[in-house]
Amino acid sequence: MVDIELKRDRLTIRFKTQKWEWMIEPRYWRNSILWVALLLVFPTVSYFVSPGLINTMISANLLAAIAIPMSLMTLGTGRVNFGPNFYVGVGGYAAALLSIAYGWGPVATLPFAILTTLFAALIFSPLVIVARGLYYVLLSLLLPFVFFEVTVIYTDIFKGDTGLFGIKPLMDLGNAKINFLVLAYLSIFIMISYLLIVNKIIKSRYGLIMATINDDEEVAHGIGVNINKVKIISFVFAACLIGIVGWFYAHYFSSFSGQTYLTFTFMLKIFLAMMIGGRTQIFGCVVGGYFVAFLEMFLIRTMGPMQAFVFPIILIIFLFILPEGLFGIYRKRRYREYFPTIHVRR
Amino acid sequence: MAELLIVDNITKTFGGIVAVHNLSFSIQEGETLGFIGPNGAGKSTVVNVLSGYLEADSGKVEMNGVNITKMKPYQRVHIGLARTYQIPRPFPELTALTSVAASALCGKKRINQSFEDALVEATHYLEFVGLFSKRNILARDLTFYELRMLELARALATTPKLLFIDEVMAGLNPPEANNAVKLIARAKEEFGVTVFWIEHVMAVLMEAADRIIAINYGEKIADGTPDEVVNNEAVIEAYLGRGWKTYA
Repeated sequence: MVDIELKRDRLTIRFKTQKWEWMIEPRYWRNSILWVALLLVFPTVSYFVSPGLINTMISANLLAAIAIPMSLMTLGTGRVNFGPNFYVGVGGYAAALLSIAYGWGPVATLPFAILTTLFAALIFSPLVIVARGLYYVLLSLLLPFVFFEVTVIYTDIFKGDTGLFGIKPLMDLGNAKINFLVLAYLSIFIMISYLLIVNKIIKSRYGLIMATINDDEEVAHGIGVNINKVKIISFVFAACLIGIVGWFYAHYFSSFSGQTYLTFTFMLKIFLAMMIGGRTQIFGCVVGGYFVAFLEMFLIRTMGPMQAFVFPIILIIFLFILPEGLFGIYRKRRYREYFPTIHVRR
Repeated sequence: MAELLIVDNITKTFGGIVAVHNLSFSIQEGETLGFIGPNGAGKSTVVNVLSGYLEADSGKVEMNGVNITKMKPYQRVHIGLARTYQIPRPFPELTALTSVAASALCGKKRINQSFEDALVEATHYLEFVGLFSKRNILARDLTFYELRMLELARALATTPKLLFIDEVMAGLNPPEANNAVKLIARAKEEFGVTVFWIEHVMAVLMEAADRIIAINYGEKIADGTPDEVVNNEAVIEAYLGRGWKTYA
């Protein structure tokens, strides 16, 4: 029969000739099913306890799902893109406009949202080759703002001031509460699949090649890395992953407006998720996403309009106290373990 | 011996300054070619042009009969050119093993090479330069000598035919420098690389080089065996200045 044995830090499960071992030691928790199980239980528990939390959880998952590809982009291009929300906007607007114009559902708009983001990312991908340092920061920062201006100027198409309404919802099961519950699981699925995909890439040979680009582009070129190819591929791929989140936003809220996603506030939230989690560590992104979403909910409930000021202050405090973020506390114990770290270029 | 690399009349200017002027030479397969010149003579510019970091304004570079003048650095690595840097440029956030593995992965194309294969191969190169015990240490935590050795391992891991060594002695103490010279000689033997060696320390080149080329103001002033070059009037004049005999 199943034999479970707990010895020191090791839980051993034996069944016939098979044996599974599980280390109960913090440094091995990163890859464990514990956190996933916790994530999966959370929506169901809050369904009965406090349904409002499900909404916050969806925001947290989506923030993490933007921050994770952002980490990949930062690693693969060796630059910090300051306008990730541009691709949220592109994916979201593509889905929203198609859904309103042709009455398409989420399944039909998804490939177009991805294609549009791919196209937009390809157009702007030469930036990662020609611009570096402050210029790249400025150019990437400008993109969402310019796009927002465009939505306001061509307001008859994009409805920049009021937002687009009447997008087909992601799913309609008849009961709003159950809808939320299913959407929560969908957002968890998206977030965890991003986590798995990006983790797989970073741990593979391509992750190593990206890490060399992140460390020193010229030397990477000198050991035989086709840096332009790697940079463009990682840029476009990450942008597409972010675009899918935009598609989710559009169908989830049944409305999409540049005011919400293309402005500084939303970008700040993404960066908070990245920084608090730990300087673009992909596992830290999840921690950061949850921290930001729940903090925001807490601040809105307790402080009201003041939260717009408190948010940046928290970012500054965190940057000073924890330069490597919450995940950095964990990493300090095992810093020699191979994992390409990402440093912010000055 | 066949000619591995042929440099034909390359010129490189930076604005109004002519760094390399109509320089021509060839590198024979299997030799150690020393490359000397006073400070600012254009030695590093030549290496940068040959390894593809700078594009020559005119002239032609051929390797094994292939014109590589317009090739990018990574393409040159794929056909068998590798270099080390004057000031070590490690990947600070990678461990010694992974930085060499990256070279093994990206260098000359190997068929069906997996990530694990590259790691095993990297171990071999680290062992060769004596850094096996430091394999899991981040490159930013290594000493200067170890960084030099890591650079060498990284360059060798791309399996080059021709290795450019840019002042490997700079900043090393005598025993370390001695080790480095021995190691390069061994690398030449074991991996069959041709070495193009820029150096200021003449004693090293006198012993190690088969042939030496001296340049000044971007032009070749001498080409021959080490003895011939050190006794060449133009070379002595380039280092000591005109009319050195009146002060000697």
